Amino acid sequence: MNNSEQGYGARLKEEVIDPGFCSVCGACVGFCPYIKTFGERVGVIHDCKVCEGVCYRVCPRSPTQYHVLRQEVFGASEHDPVFGAYKAICFARAGSEHLRSRGQYGGVVTALVTFALKQGIIDGALMTGGNFTKAIPTLVSSVSDALQCAGSKYTSSPTLGLFQEAVKEGYQKIGVVGRPCQITACRKIQKASEISGGKISLVIGLFCMGSLLPEFYSFLKENHLDRYERMDIPKDILFQGAGGDVMIPFEDVRRFIRLSCLSCYDPLSELADVSVGSTEHDPGWNTLIVRTAKGMDMVEKARFTGDIETKAYPPDLLNVLREAVFNRKKRVLECPESMYLDVPPREKDYFLTAGGDA
Amino acid sequence: MHKMGWQDVIEGRPGDRVLLNGNEAIARGALEAGVRYASSYPGSPSSEIVQTLSKVPDSELYAEWSVNEIVSLEGATAASFAGLRAICVMKADGLNVALDFLTSMNLGGCKGGLVVTVADDPQGHSSVKEYDSRYLAKAAMVPVLEPSTVEEARAMAIAAFNFSEQIKGPVILRSVTRISHSRGLVELGKSVREDKTASLPAGDRFLTKTIFHMKARDRLIKAAGIFEDCGFNYSEGPDKADTAVFCSGTSLLYAREAIETLGLNDEIKLVKVGTTFPLPEKFILSHLRGLKNAIFAEEVRSFIEEGIVLLYARNNLGKICFYGKLSGDVAGVRGPACGEMNVDIMIKALAKVYGIHYEAPGYTPEKTAELSALVPPREYAMCPGCPHRASFWAVKTAIAVDGRNSIVAGDIGCYCLGAWDTGFNLFDTLHCMGAGPGIASGLSKLGRFGLKRPTVTIVGDSTFYHAVIPGLINGQYSGSDYLCVVLDNSVTAMTGHQPHPGSGISVYGRPVNAIKIEDIVRGLGIPCKIVDPYDNFLAAETICAMVREPGIKVLIFRRECALVAARKQRRKRRVYVDQSLCRGDACGCGRFCVSVWGCPGNIWDHKTGKANIDEAVCAGCGVCASLCPAGAIVVEEVE
Repeated sequence: MNNSEQGYGARLKEEVIDPGFCSVCGACVGFCPYIKTFGERVGVIHDCKVCEGVCYRVCPRSPTQYHVLRQEVFGASEHDPVFGAYKAICFARAGSEHLRSRGQYGGVVTALVTFALKQGIIDGALMTGGNFTKAIPTLVSSVSDALQCAGSKYTSSPTLGLFQEAVKEGYQKIGVVGRPCQITACRKIQKASEISGGKISLVIGLFCMGSLLPEFYSFLKENHLDRYERMDIPKDILFQGAGGDVMIPFEDVRRFIRLSCLSCYDPLSELADVSVGSTEHDPGWNTLIVRTAKGMDMVEKARFTGDIETKAYPPDLLNVLREAVFNRKKRVLECPESMYLDVPPREKDYFLTAGGDA
Repeated sequence: MHKMGWQDVIEGRPGDRVLLNGNEAIARGALEAGVRYASSYPGSPSSEIVQTLSKVPDSELYAEWSVNEIVSLEGATAASFAGLRAICVMKADGLNVALDFLTSMNLGGCKGGLVVTVADDPQGHSSVKEYDSRYLAKAAMVPVLEPSTVEEARAMAIAAFNFSEQIKGPVILRSVTRISHSRGLVELGKSVREDKTASLPAGDRFLTKTIFHMKARDRLIKAAGIFEDCGFNYSEGPDKADTAVFCSGTSLLYAREAIETLGLNDEIKLVKVGTTFPLPEKFILSHLRGLKNAIFAEEVRSFIEEGIVLLYARNNLGKICFYGKLSGDVAGVRGPACGEMNVDIMIKALAKVYGIHYEAPGYTPEKTAELSALVPPREYAMCPGCPHRASFWAVKTAIAVDGRNSIVAGDIGCYCLGAWDTGFNLFDTLHCMGAGPGIASGLSKLGRFGLKRPTVTIVGDSTFYHAVIPGLINGQYSGSDYLCVVLDNSVTAMTGHQPHPGSGISVYGRPVNAIKIEDIVRGLGIPCKIVDPYDNFLAAETICAMVREPGIKVLIFRRECALVAARKQRRKRRVYVDQSLCRGDACGCGRFCVSVWGCPGNIWDHKTGKANIDEAVCAGCGVCASLCPAGAIVVEEVE
């Protein structure tokens, strides 16, 4: 693997992209003329062999020591092997009715980003605009921009590819809303001073059970599903529109799940400041996991100003979530493709032998 | 006031001695011979002939840039059928394209003097192959004349029309780069034929039939007889000599200089053959008799050598040793029959025959090797601001992002540099004009046998009209699956910016209706998009999207040739490197702009350790600015 003749670009190509482990997070794009992304694919055009491998270092699918990253983000905070480090888990929704109507569920992500922008916690944010028929990486700096990015997308937007653009445009405190792989990449980017990584100052992670290949877009077109207004995956796939709803079996799209996602150990964005997902219970609310002190500070202020509302997480539902995530992590640790993962033996044992009773 | 060569060709008076290149000399010869029809598909090194003739008023002479060599020759032949003198000009490779018609037409023959001028390119200075077109002429049973000097090129052009009319068939005038692109003093003559009435009376028919093969044979016999007495075959030096050098074309000069250099003027006879097919057998036999050694000097292969050795075999001439490309004795650094002839090759050959130890003046081989090592390697390069560079980068980017390792079938034009460093070594195949779409079509059928790589082909605009259209039709009809990228720079750039059917300009420089590539493509039912390659992001993104679409599709990268644009524009945009933004070697880009992008306008300032722009060279396209990862290159509009 570690061939010194090879540049890092070539390693990225051979170890990550060619075998299909790239999640198209966009972290390697934007600072190097040799890596580009189009149509939710990333390619290494030319192996430069010159720089110290920033592209490879920031990749969430290059060898990743989760315990080291956790240590850097959370210090000595207690760590839950299933949920990751957290300070609070609750139901939450945007305070504004308008935001709730725009969001996928409770509109918490949009509410937190607009709150952070208004409060000056961040001066810009990397989000994903468009809709389920086309995800568009978007650099936002205003509340109205952020609103344009409300709602879930199920494909892989290389949103982090805009980070360098934000840096060039002079943003100093950049927020990121992203999939778990993108959150991992953010933590790696923060350590890369060559690309001004320190300018990422808030990371809002999404729950993610896998993103879909761009072939999914063709599938939507071929089956005339792109004319619906909203897509959701409560279990099977629901398309909603003015002309009525339609449900198609999840099995029809299983083939579009990225290989990289099948080996993802982090469905809840454990390295984020806060993580947000569905409740799988009440579409009017989100699940909110507050993880860092920075995240806690923001959430408390937002609750105080009424930008978000929270309520307690029903204990029985929490067990359902815990079981689902446990099984997911167990499956991934059993999967031989998870080579990039460097998880401490004790944690591995927890999932593979102790059966979650530890 | 100094006149351009073409002005001397057209306005020069009989008796004037003027400096012309070989192509201009041929053009002048054709004019003096009363040529009325001149057609050509441009091709180095032949292009200046019709370029020059296009300056003549079209009431005197019809000139045409044809879309390819076969229609070009058909048109010129039509003029010959109507009794006019006509010239059709092409490079060596072009004769392949015209050959189907030439081999048919030459059976029945023609009427007005018809001269097919073929310019070979030994060493491939501006070609992908160094074809010896004489072998094709032989296959087509068409007589060949080979001038040795610029002056003789003019004389032979005139004679070729006469010979053609005498035998009632076409004659090939074979030039080479060193004739076409050398300059020499030419004494102009007067027009020899003023008639310009075209007539094709009812009953004059020009047909092809197998039995006409005999007519073609008899025409060669007649030509051989005429050639015996023409002034283009002669000898120099002692009448009685043990050794003779038989030479044709420019090799006459190399052989002459070699003989002088070795001081063998009194010992070697130089036999110059100007009519290389069919050979003037009596003339040659008269010089073979009594020889001990015969040496051959010709470009590129062993054409007259084979003919003369055969002649020797048929006659009882005693023992003669033959030294040439067949024997391996006449050989340059690439070995016999490859590469261009020169004086050194001839000196080496003569010294060997005579057992003379000869050391060339100048550096020893060791010193030469030592000095050669100091010279930086020089790759082929595209011009500053060349849209092809941007197109190639977009294709390279798109293939990398697409991730399926597409095969790229190249084609012939400036952009054949896509096969080498300057085009990012993009091409996997490179052959002749129009080969790209054919190869792409074939490859796209191999999925059923396990070939997984998608196919992209890259062709030029002039090539599109010349040879791509049948390939596209075939591809569409047979259900091919490939992306054809057409690099449309609005001219036939490589051969000197001749207009083509898409340019909207005629051979005379007058506006005509452009035949748009996209109209043709869409007319075939093939989806077509047009993108400016300077918009490099969009260009790459479009390829990425199109290459995933099923079936055959065409993407036109449209941007005027940077050289044409530079001639037109009064002010170019100013491009410079903001020194505060360029991070030098700390960037991690590995000096992308100078080491990978490779535009001559991008330079490295070794003092500051940062990138810079050579403003004298920069064309102002600004593509490097859009690719610089630091955003350090600034494009400034100039008022």
